Amino acid sequence: MKKLIELTVNGEHHEVAVTPEASLLNVLRGDLGLVGPKKGCDAGSCGCCSVHVDGKVVYSCMTYAVGAQGKEITTVEGIGHADDLHPLQQAFIDAGAVQCGYCTSGILMAAKQLLDTTPKPDEETIRHAIAGNLCRCTGYAKIVDAIKLAADRL
Amino acid sequence: MALPNIQDYYVPGTRQEAVELLGKFGENAMLVAGGTFVHGLEVRGVLGEIEALIDIGQLGLAGIRSEDGKLVVGATTNFGEIQAHADIASAPHYAAIIDALTYPPAQIINVGTIGGCIAASAPLYDLPCALSALDASLRINGGNGAREVALGEFFTGLFENVLASNELITEVVLPAAPANTASAFLKLETNANDLAIVNLAVRLTVDSAGNCADTRVYVGGGIGESYARAVSAEAVLNGAPAEAASFDAASEAVVNDIEPVDDHRASAAYRAHIVKVYTRRCLATALERLG
Amino acid sequence: MSVIGKSVARPDALDKVTGGKAYPVNFQLPGMLHGKLLRSPYPHAKILSIDTSAAEQLPGVKAVLTHHDVPQRKFTSVYFVPTDTKSLPQDLLIMSDHVRFAGQPVAAVAATSAEIAEQALELIEVDYEDLPAVFDPEEAMQAGAPQLHDGAENNIAVAPVMEFGDIEAGFAGADHIFEGTYTTQRAHTCYLEPRVCVAEYNGNDGYTINSSMQHLFGLREKLAFALEIPESNVRVIKPPYIGGGFGGKLDMSYIEPVAALLSRKSGRPVRMEHTRYEDFITTTRNPIKVYLKTGVKKDGTFTARYASSILDAGAHATHGAEVINVHGFAWLSSYHCENMKWEGKSVYTNNMIGGGYRGYGAPQACFAFESQNDEICETLGLDPIEFRKKNARQLGSAHPLVPGLTIDSYAMEEVLDRGAEAIGLAQRHPPGANGDGTTKRGIGMALFPFWVSGCVGFPDIYEHSGAIVKLNVDGTADVATASVDIGSGQITTLLQIAAEELGLPMAAMRMVDTSDTTTVPFDAPTHASRITYGSGLAIKAAAGEAKKRLLDVAGTMLEASPEDLEVVDGIVRVKGSPDTALTVADVASRAESPFIQFTDQGPAPTTLAEKGTIIGLSSMAPPSNPSPIAAGFVEVEVDTETGEVKVDRVVYSHDLGRVINPKGAEGQVEGGFQQGIGYALMEEIQFDPDSGTCLTGCFLDYKIPTAVEMPTQIESIFVESNEPTGPFGAKSMSEACVVVPAPAIANAIYNATGARLKDLPITPERVLAALGEL
Ligand SMILES: Cc1cc2nc3c(=O)[nH]c(=O)nc-3n(C[C@H](O)[C@H](O)[C@H](O)COP(=O)(O)OP(=O)(O)OC[C@H]3O[C@@H](n4cnc5c(N)ncnc54)[C@H](O)[C@@H]3O)c2cc1C
Ligand code: FES
Ligand code: FES
Repeated sequence: MKKLIELTVNGEHHEVAVTPEASLLNVLRGDLGLVGPKKGCDAGSCGCCSVHVDGKVVYSCMTYAVGAQGKEITTVEGIGHADDLHPLQQAFIDAGAVQCGYCTSGILMAAKQLLDTTPKPDEETIRHAIAGNLCRCTGYAKIVDAIKLAADRL
Repeated sequence: MALPNIQDYYVPGTRQEAVELLGKFGENAMLVAGGTFVHGLEVRGVLGEIEALIDIGQLGLAGIRSEDGKLVVGATTNFGEIQAHADIASAPHYAAIIDALTYPPAQIINVGTIGGCIAASAPLYDLPCALSALDASLRINGGNGAREVALGEFFTGLFENVLASNELITEVVLPAAPANTASAFLKLETNANDLAIVNLAVRLTVDSAGNCADTRVYVGGGIGESYARAVSAEAVLNGAPAEAASFDAASEAVVNDIEPVDDHRASAAYRAHIVKVYTRRCLATALERLG
Repeated sequence: MSVIGKSVARPDALDKVTGGKAYPVNFQLPGMLHGKLLRSPYPHAKILSIDTSAAEQLPGVKAVLTHHDVPQRKFTSVYFVPTDTKSLPQDLLIMSDHVRFAGQPVAAVAATSAEIAEQALELIEVDYEDLPAVFDPEEAMQAGAPQLHDGAENNIAVAPVMEFGDIEAGFAGADHIFEGTYTTQRAHTCYLEPRVCVAEYNGNDGYTINSSMQHLFGLREKLAFALEIPESNVRVIKPPYIGGGFGGKLDMSYIEPVAALLSRKSGRPVRMEHTRYEDFITTTRNPIKVYLKTGVKKDGTFTARYASSILDAGAHATHGAEVINVHGFAWLSSYHCENMKWEGKSVYTNNMIGGGYRGYGAPQACFAFESQNDEICETLGLDPIEFRKKNARQLGSAHPLVPGLTIDSYAMEEVLDRGAEAIGLAQRHPPGANGDGTTKRGIGMALFPFWVSGCVGFPDIYEHSGAIVKLNVDGTADVATASVDIGSGQITTLLQIAAEELGLPMAAMRMVDTSDTTTVPFDAPTHASRITYGSGLAIKAAAGEAKKRLLDVAGTMLEASPEDLEVVDGIVRVKGSPDTALTVADVASRAESPFIQFTDQGPAPTTLAEKGTIIGLSSMAPPSNPSPIAAGFVEVEVDTETGEVKVDRVVYSHDLGRVINPKGAEGQVEGGFQQGIGYALMEEIQFDPDSGTCLTGCFLDYKIPTAVEMPTQIESIFVESNEPTGPFGAKSMSEACVVVPAPAIANAIYNATGARLKDLPITPERVLAALGEL
């Protein structure tokens, strides 16, 4: 049985009918058309689905949509857009941190929490901050470069 | 994840309501604290039975306070809040907690709760191993009133514990530390986002004569159904000088207290070997922390 | 050159940093159903009966399929060979009553939601007859083992042999003979976007398919064959990009034909998406056990090289029947020797099927021969660099694969020298001598002396490409090709090649992202290090044709001979008099304009000959198969008490002919090393030895390196040897960096500890055992 819930995503208010156990990821992608968060494992171990809930990065595949009511949810779509990129998004382009890009939405959100709380992180801190996110293309080197670049520019 | 028998997701506002819901759905209720244990539950194959998800995030159970020299940590306090707590972060006595919390990724640090990772009752998790070595106890509340259970007596097997189906953990109590006490924790993992192949925590008190006293050694990971208290190692240590030779002897004894498993992640022999090495390393770290 | 050699930003990056909308996983159609597969729990079984009636009654279920409903035409799923290939066994069915691995699909459901489809699967009753299973290829070859396929005696799918010279004489002439057995494990590509497809039946035996795959035309051909319909009845839509492939999406899996048939049965489009578990049991790098016997003179010169390789193909041959050949080639072509013999066997077992994976048999080969070469050098006290230089092939010598060709670019010596210098190889300590207590450090290296830029010369493998380049009136160009960008940056490098050839700035270039098998010429898959060279040459040819047309029109406009014109940065000008110039936009506009144009002076005719879109088209095979050369150098730290190995520093040196995009090329190296380090140290798909069930079907059990395990220093050295047949001198790049890490790491562990590890992955446990500590 579905129930009607209210979600605030990227500052926008939504009403949506969901099953009690629906994951936030499925609701964002399936019901709200926010396909930035990606499904890579559906089990809290790849990080592709990372979004912010109240400013903190979480795996949306392991977050219950119903439980996210009343909280501020931010997806990659909410941090910038084509004509107004977030410095991290710009840095990912400039540093060559994007290959297949499937991990990118999630890594941007993990990196954003880091820079929100630690303005000038060192390399080790950066690597630990994205350890909950897998990337299979880049070896992370240019991702780490991009986060440093964004930190410098911020 | 689909729960074919699910009826509703409840967000009770009071403990009373939560306990009533637990009473109503019994074994078929699942509490949601951080909600990150789903993978473990799939392994357990119980998801099909679940009728009610009960979110305990609104019960006011989060937060850390002191009480007669003890620290009382609310069950829904998340890992990040524990890490950030000044007393815990600075005391050598609590260092094993901080060590244990260096391992989970940000996404788990932000939502995983102390109550959830204890109640999950899988020795693969790190924080309960550290808490066990610190003699933590649990305040439990439910249909039959309140009680307090030592963490060392909480687990009864893999995914099994002493909680009745209408009970929940409300608080975790960290007792006051004896003087001159430090702790340490280590985890063997393959990558930085892994559950423990082996984990191990020690608490070491050095008495005025320079001997080990009231030592605790707990081992987790693939070494049995739940965390093992290494009483043989503790016996070797207590009363022995706090130095490398005693630590070596303890590390030889520790394997008497564990039943390591052979699985696709490591052999029993390798796990036993690591437990020995980690016993030595953790004790040395704890001693170092005493300065 | 104005665009080649520059780290231009990827055109697809903007979309990807703002949410990545164009992945196949996001593709939907109105009214779409969701399909799910029921998979066998048994590794080897006969299906006695299947009852789907309860599933069919479940509200929301629209179609159910079993082996009774699917064509029983056997095929090979491998994209890059013709379906009627003689070299690969046709042994696969969409669904069969004979189960050969745990996880083989036995039924499928399409329903209005994925949850309903899953519930319906639980209502299907299958009666299996459990048959004896065999999981070890050597056991599978023994008499009495269960026979898995008709006609494959002793379960041997293929058994290629290659021989040159006189191997016995070679060993007789050796001063020393080295023998060793090296084992490699089953590893998964771990692309992050799951395999996913949406199939729609269009009536009249026709289908449209959208899928996350590495080869448009391969999917068309294999699907049509398996469904027994004409090839052009299948239209495959090209995804603008996919979320990783690495060879793991180089064959048709079960979902595409099943979704097609479910769509036909239900009358609605059907989407199917793998769970991560399903991805883990779908394709894999085949495990190969390699025995090497090598004869050398005192000075290290090879006198005889013998190898035998046993590959675990799993339940169906698919790639396993080809990987064995390419593996043999990787070993054979690596070093020169007069006397060589190789015997390969690809063997059926009840394990999951194999697949393509970056390196395609070469990682297994290189781990064996470079480990042994290190042992030879250490035993005989030879310099590892000089030893390799002495035995490697040389510039100008015959191409080992393609008769009549020679090796036209080969900077092997420079690759070795620059890499060795950067890591400090000459200064490294003797084995076990660096570090104290429980921490030892070591440096190791491995050379991958010979590889491919495509598949010219390999029997039965497609190797041609095509492209369309079209100029717009605003001076921009659209490029269309069937080549799929799997993440490695094809869009960027191909556009750079087209831009350079046309004389346009990169900003003027656009990759068409809406093509399909009906609108673009054939292209071989995105595999075999072939895109920059093979597709690059086709793009260059199409751009060259468009440019010729551009200069013809510009010649008319400038009243100059086209031969006297050049295009630089979007300007067409007379060579030597840059003021006589037009923009490309002017020329393209003129070509597209009406024949008679109204000007201030009244109507003015132009010439009919110059009318028409400026366009270039190509479809062609590349002329050669030039070899890249790569050497990896690593520094490791070994904890001798726990056996843990940490790779601290990497130097990678590679002759790629010409760098098209330096940052892109570095990205390939860094990502390649992540996969190579994972392969060397931790990754392994494992099965329960009794039930054959996969034990590592999620990222909690199948571990790959995170940012924390990766070295912070990865230095790429690109040697530009300028391949004469390549586009602007380029050859290839992206596989060798996955091949060299494992042997380089194993050799570094030897240097650190004196222990020689011959089995992958080199887990901490194996290191300790090798050190005698366990
Ligand atoms: C990718 C990943 C990485 C991880 N890494 C680590 C790691 O490095 N170290 C580590 O220690 N752990 C790690 N974990 C595991 C994590 O600690 C567990 O998932 C733990 O259960 C987290 O608590 P939670 O609040 O999310 O639990 P929940 O999922 O909310 O609950 C877990 C179980 O406990 C029950 N429960 C919850 N709260 C209570 C309560 N107050 N009273 C009674 N029962 C209750 C629930 O019903 C449920 O059965 C990781 C998990 C993931 C997914
Ligand atoms: S999809 Fe959520 S962590 Fe992988
Ligand atoms: S860019 Fe492909 S997974 Fe990260």
